[in-house]
Amino acid sequence: MSEILENPHGNCALGGANATLSAIRRVIPLYHSGPGCCMQTTAGEASQGSLRLPPYTAYTAIPCTNMLEREVVFGGERKLDAFLQGALEILDADAFFVLTGCTAGIIGDDVQSVVAKYREQGHPIWAVETPGFLGESYRGYELAMNALRQNLVEERPTEPDLVNLLGIVPYHDPYWEGNFEELVRLLEALGLRVNTFFSHFQGVENVKNAGAAALDIVVHPWLLKSLRYAGTGEVLRFPGVPLGAADSAAFLRQVAERTGRLQQAEAWIEKENRWFYHYLETGIALQSWRKFSVVGESTNVIPIVRFLSNEYSFSPEVAVCTDVVFRQEDKAYITKALTDLDYGSAPEIVFTGDQWEINQALARHPESHVLIGSTNEHEFAMSHMMQFVCACYPNTERLIYNRSLAGWRGALTFMEDVYSNL
Amino acid sequence: MAYNGIREQRQDTETINDWGGSSLAAARDFPQKCLGRADRSFSQGLQCQQINSVMALLSMEDAAFVVHSPLGCAGCCSMANDWYRVGQIYRGSMALKNARVLVTNMDERDVVLGAEQKLAKALRLAWERYKPKVIFIFTSCASGIIADDVDSVAQEVNAELPDTVIVPIHCEGFKSKVCASGYDAAFLAITKYVLEKEDAGETIPNLLNVFGPPTVSTVDQMEVERMLGEIGIEANYLPFYASLEKIRRIPRAAASSAICKVFADEFMKDLERRYNIPYSHTIMPIGTRNTDRWLRGAAKLMGKEQEAEAYIAREREAIAPLMADLRRRLEGKTVFITGGTGRTFAAGALVDDFGMKLIGMQTPTYDKNIQEDVERLNAIHGDFVLDVANMMPFEQVNLLRKLKPDVFIGVPIWAARLGLPTTHVLDIKRPTMGYRNLVYLGQKIAAQVENPGYNKRIAQYATLPYKESWYDSDPFKYIVKEG
Repeated sequence: MSEILENPHGNCALGGANATLSAIRRVIPLYHSGPGCCMQTTAGEASQGSLRLPPYTAYTAIPCTNMLEREVVFGGERKLDAFLQGALEILDADAFFVLTGCTAGIIGDDVQSVVAKYREQGHPIWAVETPGFLGESYRGYELAMNALRQNLVEERPTEPDLVNLLGIVPYHDPYWEGNFEELVRLLEALGLRVNTFFSHFQGVENVKNAGAAALDIVVHPWLLKSLRYAGTGEVLRFPGVPLGAADSAAFLRQVAERTGRLQQAEAWIEKENRWFYHYLETGIALQSWRKFSVVGESTNVIPIVRFLSNEYSFSPEVAVCTDVVFRQEDKAYITKALTDLDYGSAPEIVFTGDQWEINQALARHPESHVLIGSTNEHEFAMSHMMQFVCACYPNTERLIYNRSLAGWRGALTFMEDVYSNL
Repeated sequence: MAYNGIREQRQDTETINDWGGSSLAAARDFPQKCLGRADRSFSQGLQCQQINSVMALLSMEDAAFVVHSPLGCAGCCSMANDWYRVGQIYRGSMALKNARVLVTNMDERDVVLGAEQKLAKALRLAWERYKPKVIFIFTSCASGIIADDVDSVAQEVNAELPDTVIVPIHCEGFKSKVCASGYDAAFLAITKYVLEKEDAGETIPNLLNVFGPPTVSTVDQMEVERMLGEIGIEANYLPFYASLEKIRRIPRAAASSAICKVFADEFMKDLERRYNIPYSHTIMPIGTRNTDRWLRGAAKLMGKEQEAEAYIAREREAIAPLMADLRRRLEGKTVFITGGTGRTFAAGALVDDFGMKLIGMQTPTYDKNIQEDVERLNAIHGDFVLDVANMMPFEQVNLLRKLKPDVFIGVPIWAARLGLPTTHVLDIKRPTMGYRNLVYLGQKIAAQVENPGYNKRIAQYATLPYKESWYDSDPFKYIVKEG
């Protein structure tokens, strides 16, 4: 059963599905939903990740049937039918996905049949049932990724140098596009080509071709466990976007091992390390030791805790994972990543997305001086005289275009953010 | 029959939400009931009334909020919370308190079995955690369709918690096409659960209720309060940054006024019926003429007409040189305006302050209250294209490509992609209202017209999701009259 959440760190299934699909170039989500879902899901998902908006359709530009009382009583299939005629007449896209909201879900409109009619006429259109009550943003991401897998991915011969990079959730990770850019740069250094779907002007053709990849690389602790894009069925999981010299090297080595590129990896790691420590050397003694706390989605918390502890010698006090992690095995995996540190001792690890409980957890660690969290934690930091870095979802205070928390470069960026002259 | 809070169901206003054509034709045909009810067979997202209920109240200082819905319906709480936090900074507070919002997070099981127990639990949690003086409940499409008995739960829990007031707001999105209904839902609930339960108390002679929508920036609120203070009127400004105490003072005011034409209008009528509190329902105080009208409306009710006239003359004189300069920079420019009902019509008159010419306008509703504004704008600008639409960006960009205005005033997301200079009279964090802020607003408009570099450059690369053929089509082709 879902929990009551104060100041939730997530949106609904519809919001997650929309943020995911609208991040693919020339893909348009069409809402069969109530009149507020376009605003609510944009404000609650994309807009509070990095403040940016999906370029093609966002807010009140999302096509929507705006289901009112009449549809609640008599059903909304006829309205959807007329709506789709207009949508396909004027909108220009490579793929359309009809997404349902709670209203359509509860009254049980047969959306699939209505949409099938237009698909049979040759339009690239599919329906995904995403009523908000099915779950939070991640459920929506998985539903969307599943729909892409089922409907678009084609069986093609394996291309050994092609990989799929999965698990970075558009907008929900405030650094998603920068993270894609930096990880792709690193993977390309190994001579790989990368399908991300969401960055580098990729689009529907990259989704179609995902079946030709030799390997799925999932940089998330628990998403997409039962979904394979690569035709080979091969998958490599990493708990988050690697941050810093140590985890980035480990990440590249694991990829290299699976794709037979160990030599290239070692050469590249050495090059990045030299570059990285050139900068770090110029910053010795700029910032003294701190105890710190992190609040965010597990996939962001893990790299931040590991980097600051392993490579910056700061001491983690408490790590709060705000995403809803259902499976015990996933909690164990996350806990291991947060506990298995090179030298430092592990933080208290808390799983909760409830603001009151988050604040209680933070309050148990009065010696912590730095708080890395979401906009929701800004209040706690200010009222407890802590240095605050906003680096996690939800973020309504900081514009992030392509800044990354990935690799060696992302680590430098992050250290610039964490620096304080106080 | 008592007003049910659904704006388009009011008999007396004859509200229309879907129409497009000439403004002269609209003003001519509306009184004959010839515009007709319609619907759009293709549409883009509206704004639901729950969003407006949330926005109206989320900055209440001593309140907690329970959103009875799946997680998604708390999406706009984050936006409203941002406004609240920014408002705190502008007021000199560095505490940056979050609004306390608990979401019942309805899931599949709740939708089947009902979620009344969860709602009760959320209310108790809100009390345990924050001891708020008032707890507002916002309902949702999901809670409405499965018919959770929110009122009974509220009453039951309130009986356990006598030191707070639980106010359930029925703002299910599917009930109304007009998002401003959500404001009414909030006021209806406040009346039922707070005001009706208490004695009105003694009237405070110089106290004026000023009802402002949440999109009024803090600086604008302070300017409105200052202007009223200059002519000896104390403002009971609600509900932005208000408290339960300020709500309780509502019946003690000598008169009421609203900053927006579709905000608290029905509530003010109700206050007149219940407490004999007269009200002024004019226009948003943006631009000199609108500010004159707004201020005179309030002053008349408060017996401060002389003071108001003296003040208006003083302020107008003070800004005259700056206004002349702005007029010189903007005169003759054509303009297209879009926004909420209150702001569009205010902006329509405002642009005449600068000698600009209105050639197109989008407004979410057309009704009897609006008729006089359309007539007034017709008298100033002559015929212009009127699109009764809650944005509908597809119609907007179609019209913009045809009309090619010099300036676009409204949410710039789509017009900017066409390379038009864009600016807005809705700025939640900046000044727009009253005489002094008008200078800022005018400078903002002029600066965008004179320096459109950002939009011009971005238009070379930006994309809109419509086929080229759409721009050659009738912009109103999807508006279908109801039989």
